[in-house]
Amino acid sequence: MQTLKLKLFFAAWLAALVGHAPLGAAAPKHDLYLSVLLSGQGQIMGGRAPALSGVYRSTDRLKVEHVGFGHIRMFQVIGDPHSADGLYLAALNGVVHSKDRGKTWRILTGWDMTEPKGLVIDPNATDHIYAGLPDGIAVSRDRGATWTRMNDGIRRSYTQTITIDRTQAGRVLAGTELGIYLTEDGARTWRLVQPTTETTYDLRQSPHDPKIFFAATTSSGALWSEDRGRTWRPIAGVPKKHTLHNGVFDPSAARRLVLCGWDAGLLVSEDGGRTWLDRTAGLPNRQIWSVAVDPDQPGRLYASPFQQPVYVSEDFGLTWKPAFFEKATAFNLTFVPRS
Amino acid sequence: MKRPLYLLPLLALVGLRLAAQPSFEGPVPSTVPEIDEDRRRAAYVRRVDEILGWAAAGGKATTDDPAKLDLAMIAAKIVRGEDLPGCSQRVIELMREPGTGPFWMFPTVCIAYLGRDRLSPEALASIRTAWKTTRQQRGDTENHFVMYYASLYLMAELYPDESAETWYSGRSSAENFAEASAFLIKWIDTNTTVGQGEFNTSNYIGEYAIPLSFLANWSKDPAMRQRASMMLDWLFAELATSSLNGVLRGPHSRTDEGAVIERWQAMTSFFSWLLFGNTPPTAGYSGWGLYFAPLAKSYHLPEVTYRIATDRRGDFIQRDRARVRRLWRYSDELSPPVYKTNYLRHDYGVGSTTGGLIDPIQSHVWDVTWAESDPRGKHPTMFSLHPHSSSRAMQSSFTAYPEPMIKGVTFEGKPSYDSPDKLMGSSPFEQVFQDLDTVIALYAIAPGERFPHINGFFSKDLINVTEDDSGWIFAQGGRAYLAYRPLASYHWIPYLHYKSGWAKQRLNLGGRVLTSPHLNNGTIVQAAGVGEFTDFAAFQRAIRALPLAFKLDPLPAVEMTTLRGNKISFTFGTVPQVNGRAVDYRAWKLFEGPHLNAEVGGRKLTITHGRLERVLDFNTLSVTNRVK
Repeated sequence: MQTLKLKLFFAAWLAALVGHAPLGAAAPKHDLYLSVLLSGQGQIMGGRAPALSGVYRSTDRLKVEHVGFGHIRMFQVIGDPHSADGLYLAALNGVVHSKDRGKTWRILTGWDMTEPKGLVIDPNATDHIYAGLPDGIAVSRDRGATWTRMNDGIRRSYTQTITIDRTQAGRVLAGTELGIYLTEDGARTWRLVQPTTETTYDLRQSPHDPKIFFAATTSSGALWSEDRGRTWRPIAGVPKKHTLHNGVFDPSAARRLVLCGWDAGLLVSEDGGRTWLDRTAGLPNRQIWSVAVDPDQPGRLYASPFQQPVYVSEDFGLTWKPAFFEKATAFNLTFVPRS
Repeated sequence: MKRPLYLLPLLALVGLRLAAQPSFEGPVPSTVPEIDEDRRRAAYVRRVDEILGWAAAGGKATTDDPAKLDLAMIAAKIVRGEDLPGCSQRVIELMREPGTGPFWMFPTVCIAYLGRDRLSPEALASIRTAWKTTRQQRGDTENHFVMYYASLYLMAELYPDESAETWYSGRSSAENFAEASAFLIKWIDTNTTVGQGEFNTSNYIGEYAIPLSFLANWSKDPAMRQRASMMLDWLFAELATSSLNGVLRGPHSRTDEGAVIERWQAMTSFFSWLLFGNTPPTAGYSGWGLYFAPLAKSYHLPEVTYRIATDRRGDFIQRDRARVRRLWRYSDELSPPVYKTNYLRHDYGVGSTTGGLIDPIQSHVWDVTWAESDPRGKHPTMFSLHPHSSSRAMQSSFTAYPEPMIKGVTFEGKPSYDSPDKLMGSSPFEQVFQDLDTVIALYAIAPGERFPHINGFFSKDLINVTEDDSGWIFAQGGRAYLAYRPLASYHWIPYLHYKSGWAKQRLNLGGRVLTSPHLNNGTIVQAAGVGEFTDFAAFQRAIRALPLAFKLDPLPAVEMTTLRGNKISFTFGTVPQVNGRAVDYRAWKLFEGPHLNAEVGGRKLTITHGRLERVLDFNTLSVTNRVK
């Protein structure tokens, strides 16, 4: 039974990535989770908030409901492969788990692990969770019950993003202050595969070709790998002046990517990153915090311009309209399969 | 990322009640030490009662509208046994809209413990429920963590054996307790081995003293009570050695725009008033002081600490270590050491760190401050700094995204951060050396820096400011003569004052800022007591006669002989030399001076004044007093 559940979870997960989800009026197979700051820049740690920040969920893409911690710094939500109702959250307080879709939460990490930004579960070893922390990488081998720091080989261990190679258990890439590190032994050892001058903010594996990885950085632009993250090359035509926050593959179209960042606006490539089209027109500013592609509706794109509503486009960025909130900064927009 | 907005109503209320706060508007207390222990204790108890009476009366003044009672007022009323049914009712109301985070947690813990056998079961249950339903934010600073875990520890002890589902954390009482206990023990261990990160703060002393006082009184574990009690002694001993007439002197890991200029305007002044009785308290007892008061009578300030705080007959120098705030990025070391010096004399103090980044926003690196007979409203300080504003610097300490960070921080209680005329903050382009009452601050500002100049503060309270042809600027502050030597050309701009870290308005109260627009730059300040010279002119002649050579390129460098006869050689980027010997910072102890002594890694502080000695030994959790 457990094995079947896992298979269903990852089938849904892969479907999300490759765009096999039903379309049209059928109920979405994924929920959209938004980790948002709603109280503007004046919000003080521990102060009363004018608006309830934290994690929101949309099941129908029309409205959102608040889920769990109402804090200003919620960074990432991922699904739990062991339970359709399970969620993991990277939050200011640490790694947090819910077994009931956000009704109740349990903080998994202790006092010595704070502000995880990246969180990933190994699909080939589903008890294994990797968390990127400001001071390194924490690994749990028991679904979050216990954690161990595993940074061997990483200099300057600030870790902003972490992703898994779905083709091999224990093969993980981490975006750190000084570049992209790779482990092939479940974080026991790490090696630098791509140096950068400043922090790498996002790492993604193509849902269409597992050899392809994409990275967004602070000042080294966007990077591309075609050998499962062993070597990288810069992507031409992408601005480097400011931080690139997010790079996302379109699960419905093999060669389509979207990229966003501070002052970079929102860029779309239809040819696997060779050329880029600016699709910021229609958004209220060019400081795009995060972006996501809807796995249930081809062509639907979400973007979070800084301190503005979260916007939606039904034509992959040609036109935009406000979708959620009045004034938000979404740290993360993500889709979690329902089963 | 500090002092929450919901404190503001309390402070606003405080502002309305100043007339009812006797010590705040009364005469300045005597700075003559009270030798008689009984009289000293009686005066302390009177001060505690003043706070409690003031807080409770603040509540009473609005008894027609009990909705105005806040948790601090309720705490005072509980201690005094006043209107307990009304307090219970108000607690229930307040718990309907609980806050989130350490600034809400510790006040509710205070009420939960004070009210254990005084408030109604419904009121106590409302607090407990809030700790289930409202998920508490841990924060991101050292003081946040201390408040958070001290609160969690005590609530877990108060409600032991309760299941994970009954706590916001999703962890059982035992799990919460274990985590909190582990943090608190580790924090104390770190502080007693390599020093505190948030050292000598102007305003955050309460964030440590209050949780420690709660733990010292309410923990069921005798070992934790002892640890907390000893840490309180440690904290107050540091305050004693770095204050003059009750007013904290620089440097500071964290301060604010108001306190760095109006030196007395800091929570440390509240604690000095309460503990040492040698300066007026701040308005509203700095807000948080109201939460120290309920348990204050259980604290007995060690006599040795009192003597250190109040005896300024002799000069002394402390050389101590602390830590830089955690550097998440751009550093190979998470929390490098800070080397700090405090030289205190009867009429003035000189303090410094060696410069560089400490806290990216709120540090204060060095100053010369002088004693004022009434410190209220005075700006008794002189210093310079590079007004460093940098997204990269903030990224070193925060995990937020880079670009909006500078603008964001100005909304969060640090309004001056991105102002070119700011007077707070540390810079990687500043290096400082202090020898007794001489400070040499050198600057090598990188080309392209946002603010390519340095600022020097000249107080409205200086007299006889003289721009001498020699290049020195002479002045007198209180009973201190001051000589300020800019190493490059400058111009003056008006000083505009922020009353506090939260102030949005700037006030022209007088004073000037010396602005010197050169990347390679420097400042020398030499202080002396008025009593050391026949007159001001004699001081000036002595300063002019000092051997001094300096250059700015390729890097700033100074060679001089100080007023005290020491030959200093200091070049930016190198280790300073005194009389031909390089200063060996790595050999510095955790504390070293006539009053505080501790070895790095030692977990033991020896507090000394004259023949009095008190040893806080965290290895054995023991306190030893002796008269040598």
